[in-house]
Amino acid sequence: MERRSFLKGFGAAAACAIALPHVASAAEEKKSGGPNEMNFETAVAAITGGKAVIASAKVKMEAPEIAENGAVVPVKVTVDSPMTSKEYVKAIHVLASKNGNVRCANIYLTPANGEAFFGTRIKLGGTQDVVAIAEMSDGTFLSAKQNVKVTIGGCG
Amino acid sequence: MKTLIKIKPKDYKAGDVVKIDFMAMHPMETGMRKNKDTGALIPAEYIDEVKFMFNDTLITKMVIWESLSVNPLMSISFKVPGAGTLKVIAKDNKGQSVESTTQITPKG
Repeated sequence: MERRSFLKGFGAAAACAIALPHVASAAEEKKSGGPNEMNFETAVAAITGGKAVIASAKVKMEAPEIAENGAVVPVKVTVDSPMTSKEYVKAIHVLASKNGNVRCANIYLTPANGEAFFGTRIKLGGTQDVVAIAEMSDGTFLSAKQNVKVTIGGCG
Repeated sequence: MKTLIKIKPKDYKAGDVVKIDFMAMHPMETGMRKNKDTGALIPAEYIDEVKFMFNDTLITKMVIWESLSVNPLMSISFKVPGAGTLKVIAKDNKGQSVESTTQITPKG
């Protein structure tokens, strides 16, 4: 009889041990930042492949310093560079450093654009840096950032 | 998905750099919002790829995520090489796709 009750108890404990990780992962899921969650470091590494990103005045970012409504924040990025087949801006990446998924847009340009420009409107969950990374045809990465203070978050 | 293409300024010559504004009517759901009545998560629904083509040559390809605002606006520059057709193809994560075209007609 003793042995039986011991086994029962053991079985219950084992079941608990198996069930617990499930509970934990469900809790994590609730905290996650949506289906495409990615943090800033991972996103930058995915763009650059580990290369250095240099802050440069060539990249100009226009974003408001204070955005009353985080749901619609206008962002404009211009890169001062010729757009010829020899030297051009390959891509402009726009990142919101503290959104659940920091990636906003990857714009792959060609010399046919005539000018490296991208304008859009993004959602910001709170006060954070908006970062633009420009990939040049010579393989270097230039960046610019602007801190945007958000009064009402745009992700709720 | 309703779309709108605007060329700015309205009058341009061949060789000019113009701005192309592309707007799409799309909810851009993040997948993080909850239905206020039921508490259930609203599944993510966002445009994930936009291609700008001029006379079937790719000018610009965009990979975008749910961080763009509702009814997103995307604006790029374009150096007008001559008359032709501008085509914008937008696709969302549910596979819905829309093609919109406009004529590029430089004056002079």
